[in-house]
Amino acid sequence: MKDLWMRQIGGVLRLELKRTAFSRRGWWIYCLAAAPVFISLMHWLIEIQHRSHSHSIGEDSVVFAGLFLFFFLRGSLFFGAMGIFSNLFRGEMLQKTLHYYFLTPIRREWLVAGKYAAGLAVSLMLFLPSVAITYLLLGRHFGAAWTDYLTHGPGLGQLGSYLLVTTLACVGYGAVFLVCGLLYKNPMIPAAVVWVWEALNPFLPTVLKKISVIFYLKSLCPVEVPAPPPFSVMVIEADPPPAWLAVPGLLAVAALLLIYAAITARQTEINYGE
Amino acid sequence: MAVYKKTYRPYEGELTASWSRLFVIPRYAFEDLHRSRFLTVFYIASFIYPLICALIVYVEHNLSALKLLNLENTSRLIPIGVSFFMGLLGWQSMLALFLAAFVGPGLVSPDLVNNGLSLYMARPFSRTEYVLGKMSVLVILMSLMTWVPGLLIFGLQAYLEGWSWATEHARIAAGIFFGAWAWILLLSLMALALSAWVKWKPAAGALIFVLYFVAAGFGATINGVQRTHWGHLLNIGYLVGRIWVALFEGANKTTNGAVFFRVPMGEELPMWSCWLALLAVCGVCLYMLARKVRGAEVVR
Repeated sequence: MKDLWMRQIGGVLRLELKRTAFSRRGWWIYCLAAAPVFISLMHWLIEIQHRSHSHSIGEDSVVFAGLFLFFFLRGSLFFGAMGIFSNLFRGEMLQKTLHYYFLTPIRREWLVAGKYAAGLAVSLMLFLPSVAITYLLLGRHFGAAWTDYLTHGPGLGQLGSYLLVTTLACVGYGAVFLVCGLLYKNPMIPAAVVWVWEALNPFLPTVLKKISVIFYLKSLCPVEVPAPPPFSVMVIEADPPPAWLAVPGLLAVAALLLIYAAITARQTEINYGE
Repeated sequence: MAVYKKTYRPYEGELTASWSRLFVIPRYAFEDLHRSRFLTVFYIASFIYPLICALIVYVEHNLSALKLLNLENTSRLIPIGVSFFMGLLGWQSMLALFLAAFVGPGLVSPDLVNNGLSLYMARPFSRTEYVLGKMSVLVILMSLMTWVPGLLIFGLQAYLEGWSWATEHARIAAGIFFGAWAWILLLSLMALALSAWVKWKPAAGALIFVLYFVAAGFGATINGVQRTHWGHLLNIGYLVGRIWVALFEGANKTTNGAVFFRVPMGEELPMWSCWLALLAVCGVCLYMLARKVRGAEVVR
């Protein structure tokens, strides 16, 4: 039986990958993933030409930390996950093709699992290389010093942490937006609420901070980024959760959301007219 | 009558005046929007902040209220000046962005998806009138959220403080009016252009946020990586904030923009570049609209 279920999930995954990966509709998500790569490439080329050495490797690693927090986590990963995952069910509702899935002899839970796996695969395929290439290109102009920083210094360890955070962000936000796509006709409204909540996180009291994805993700980032001046006075400090709690905690929340999505999918009835 | 005798006869009833035809669109659009409970609640809630501001202005000039709060000896509860009005405009403009993201995508895309555009264009109604009509929906809603309450509060303050205050601070009133219009026009064009190109409404709404927030993040990234300030040209909030500061204060700059529309001190870009960037965004939006809003479309 397990073999059948795995084959069914695999079938949904293959179909969804064909539909989701590299579709014309997702052009803006590809732009989100490619933009930081373009910047770090420009930085590399410009610095190689000028040979100004106006900054150090340490400064560049802080710059990347800021870029990762403010651009990747709060921007491209959030909106990218929203575009990919909320479209998995809602997109098919709009195209009036969801009933084909519902008419096949497959448990709805496996349908949710297959679709989620496809969304996760696409988001990881886009954002993991984007983070890695951006990181590797940002300090490339330092030449041998950069290679030394990567191989003998903290460079590769930091890159590993950023990749782990990226993966967890895709897992966490993916689960949130899959549920949004299933529950809401317009997933924009809950997404806007989630976005505002996540953006307000540094200013929330400690108890409320913990009810967010970004709080756990930030605690796993290897380099801390201070809040910019006008907002720094409003920031409420809270002890970051240890990695052994943050990683399984996020995975557990994602699993709970997926179980909820599966239960919702079991009870879903289609009425395209509504 | 025999069928062959049924020839073309033009409409002989009364025609709507050509200048007012475009207002047919907002009339129906408002009816549709009124049906959404979420939007109605959101729109009503957007007036809470102006109401609080009006209350502050009133309390500032009411001796018995100040006595009640034990503040009769303090010179000012909250200074009512450039920062006060710019804060009001900034807050209301952010709510206007949310409104544009919720309302804007539903304006053009249904007409395109259902091939309804040819029905508009078959009537004595031009493409420009169509775009202006659709735009007026957003312009009216956002005007009522931004410069209308701003000027009303300015009027209240002028009434309570005296004519001399109003003439002394006339620049603030002009700043509220023209600053809000710059933002409203930009936002309306962006919302309509995205609505015309992205057929799925939530995705079009998300793209408005992406253009505002992610482009700002992208600009900040360029600034950080390249050690420059020109990345702010991608930050719509910065561009609008920079223009607001110039409109409100001219050359005697004392503030760093409004809430959500900050211009960090020492990172000011030349005014011409900010205007140019905003005009470029508007130009791109107009081009996108011109490409999509057509009576007939060739589908290959």
